[in-house]
Amino acid sequence: MIRYTLTRAALLLLGLFVASVLIFLTLRVLPGDVAQLIAGTNSTPEQVAGIREELGLDEPLFSQYVDWIGGVLRGDLGTSLLTGTSVTDELAEKAQVTIPLGILALTIALVFSLPLGVLSAMRRVRWSGTALSVGAQTLAAVPVVWAGMMLVVVFAVWLGWLPAQGFPRAGWSDPAAAIRALVLPALTIGIVEGAMLLRFVRSATLQAVGQDYVRTAAAKGLTRDAALIRHGLPNVGLSVVTVLGLQVAGIIVGAVVIEQLFTLPGIGRMLVADVGARDLPKVQGELLALTGFVLIVGFVVDLVHRSLDPRQREAT
Amino acid sequence: MLRRTALAASALLAASALLLAACAGAQQESPPQQREIDADASIAVRLVLEPGNLDIRQTAGAALDQILVDNIYQGLVARTPKQEIVPSLASDWTVSPDGLTYEFTVREGVTFHDGQELTPQDVVWSLTTRKTTPEWRDSARLANVATIAAEGQTVTLTLSAPDSTLLWNLTGRAGLILKEGDTVDYKTAANGTGPFVLEDWREGDSISFVRNDAYWGEKAEAAEVVFSYIPDNQAALNAALAGEVDVVTGFDANLQEQIEADGAFALEGGKSTDKGTLAFNQASGPLADKRVRQAIRHAIDHDAFIEAQASGQTLYGPIPELDPGYEDLSRVAPYDREAALALLDEAGVEDLTLTLTIPNFYSTTIAQILVSDLNEVGITLEVDSVDFSTWLNDVYVNQDYDLSFVLHTEARDFENWANPDYYFTYDNPEVKRLYEESVAATDEAEAADLLAQAARIVSEDAAGDWLFNGASVVAVGTSITGMPTINVNERLNVAALASYR
Repeated sequence: MIRYTLTRAALLLLGLFVASVLIFLTLRVLPGDVAQLIAGTNSTPEQVAGIREELGLDEPLFSQYVDWIGGVLRGDLGTSLLTGTSVTDELAEKAQVTIPLGILALTIALVFSLPLGVLSAMRRVRWSGTALSVGAQTLAAVPVVWAGMMLVVVFAVWLGWLPAQGFPRAGWSDPAAAIRALVLPALTIGIVEGAMLLRFVRSATLQAVGQDYVRTAAAKGLTRDAALIRHGLPNVGLSVVTVLGLQVAGIIVGAVVIEQLFTLPGIGRMLVADVGARDLPKVQGELLALTGFVLIVGFVVDLVHRSLDPRQREAT
Repeated sequence: MLRRTALAASALLAASALLLAACAGAQQESPPQQREIDADASIAVRLVLEPGNLDIRQTAGAALDQILVDNIYQGLVARTPKQEIVPSLASDWTVSPDGLTYEFTVREGVTFHDGQELTPQDVVWSLTTRKTTPEWRDSARLANVATIAAEGQTVTLTLSAPDSTLLWNLTGRAGLILKEGDTVDYKTAANGTGPFVLEDWREGDSISFVRNDAYWGEKAEAAEVVFSYIPDNQAALNAALAGEVDVVTGFDANLQEQIEADGAFALEGGKSTDKGTLAFNQASGPLADKRVRQAIRHAIDHDAFIEAQASGQTLYGPIPELDPGYEDLSRVAPYDREAALALLDEAGVEDLTLTLTIPNFYSTTIAQILVSDLNEVGITLEVDSVDFSTWLNDVYVNQDYDLSFVLHTEARDFENWANPDYYFTYDNPEVKRLYEESVAATDEAEAADLLAQAARIVSEDAAGDWLFNGASVVAVGTSITGMPTINVNERLNVAALASYR
């Protein structure tokens, strides 16, 4: 297990390094730069060159990369070219919206997909199971943006229960208001992600139903459902843990879209704005943090999966 | 069993938490009973474009001017929504008959937001630094100013040549007065003399101002104004209907019925200097032929843009109605498909394919109308929708484009047509001469007349096309008063914005 963990950790570090190079280089391919954006449409080339020099954009690429990665190793993700603020600070501030949003969305997705997925597998021959399955299929196909708009129209505009957009300016010092602001965005992501998870849980459960050990347990006197729940579900759980790793990446992507739709000041909205403004040090800091997060989640999921699954444990 | 119970319990818990959160939010609003101004009001205004930073010295973009000039920072003179020039930090001024000497009397008792006093030396320093720092925005607009000096409360500007645009330029970035040697971090903070103090900038969300209680002039009506940046019109409509904003600027007039449905908002329209500018790259290629450019203008149904946006008016030249030098030039390029075909034929152009480069935040309707209109005369238009930084790089800097669309919001920006290096790629010495004469004119009417002549030539040369002159479309809550409606993309002075109790 220790050897396995070390190997995975080494791969994680390698992955982060490769990601940092890719992020750095691909961003340099984007046309335009922040100096031109600052100078605007009434500027002379000399003016832009002056700003470029002021911001250090005229340094060679390699030394820009070394500066950046050196900072990252010291825990400094960089500084925004536009506002001069620290990327780490900005991320920490915006994470106060995005992380709770992600957790809430994931919770919603799990809460409705796990029981319903298992149920739809258990009732697969009855109409309720089929209805659940079809319903999930349909929901999974719904574009996130459309789902969000419908929820806003019903819960914010018609019923007036929840805010249509934005995050309270007081932030988490007013927790009730903060949570209310996140309910609709989280529901939007949660429902769509949950519908995909539901289909996965359903098929994992169906697979478990056919397994020998479930049949054996049933033969020993348990009802089919009881046998599935007691012996089949732990195996379903294992597969779900693996998929959750992927789901986290899906939720981050969902958050980028949903934060635009709901005008939430989170990491996703910041990222889109920074790409538009070509604030590259900020964008690369943000992307590296997000990539690191997804890679680390994958790493943890691997470890958890291994420690939960006796078969894999013994294999090491 | 335990698992099932735990699952059910957590589901129940989550559901009830959602319900609780939802119920706590039911808001109650009552219509205003008495028309009495609420001095403690906080008013939320929806804006579209958020500035990248707040550096009024250097960073370009109408998004900064819109909220920071007049409200936070001030110049010696200011402009009204009707585009008149009025006193601001100078209580009065005189211009010598030869147009070479400007004397301003700087107000006494003016303080910056951090409590420091405004001195005539601050004025001299601000204008001098602006003039000598090319990286500062609009630095070149002070090019004709030779000396800037203070004596007592009088600040004197002497010019090397008369400049009819100087006073106007002083109402903008070029004339803003900052505190000499100020240590404020201009990128994220502000220290001006205006009726509002910058309270907070929450990036990606909002900028809020609070009333400056130490303001030298008439104090602002509202205690706080919050500018909420909501780019999407549908989201802005929802926010308005849910009572989250009091004023919606940059609104889509097509949604009028929806926002006025429950009587909480009324749509107001004002003129603007927003010019939907279709630039032709006439440096080389088929567009270097004037007949091809004229044909394109004749092929475009300009009324269709007004109809599609349900606001604004047509514009057939580079100068909009609000600016000096305006003239109705609709007869230069009427919608006439036959004329377009004849011109293309005369130019010997067949199977022409052009690319339109357009920043992706503009409505897709604009490109759709152009594609279909040009298709009617046999021109294939390919649309390249790009982000603004790409547009800046490809079109503005490298001039690598055929057709480009951008909404130029700035008032009195005719100078770009007289600048052959500008991305318009238009070079006409006669226009340049007329423009320079207009700048050098000491009489306003004469200056405007020269501009009108130059503008007519620009239009007749089909140096570009003007798809529409946008309107400021503002949805104002019925409990709100004092909202400016003219040219609010360019300037949004909110000192008089107030809410009834």
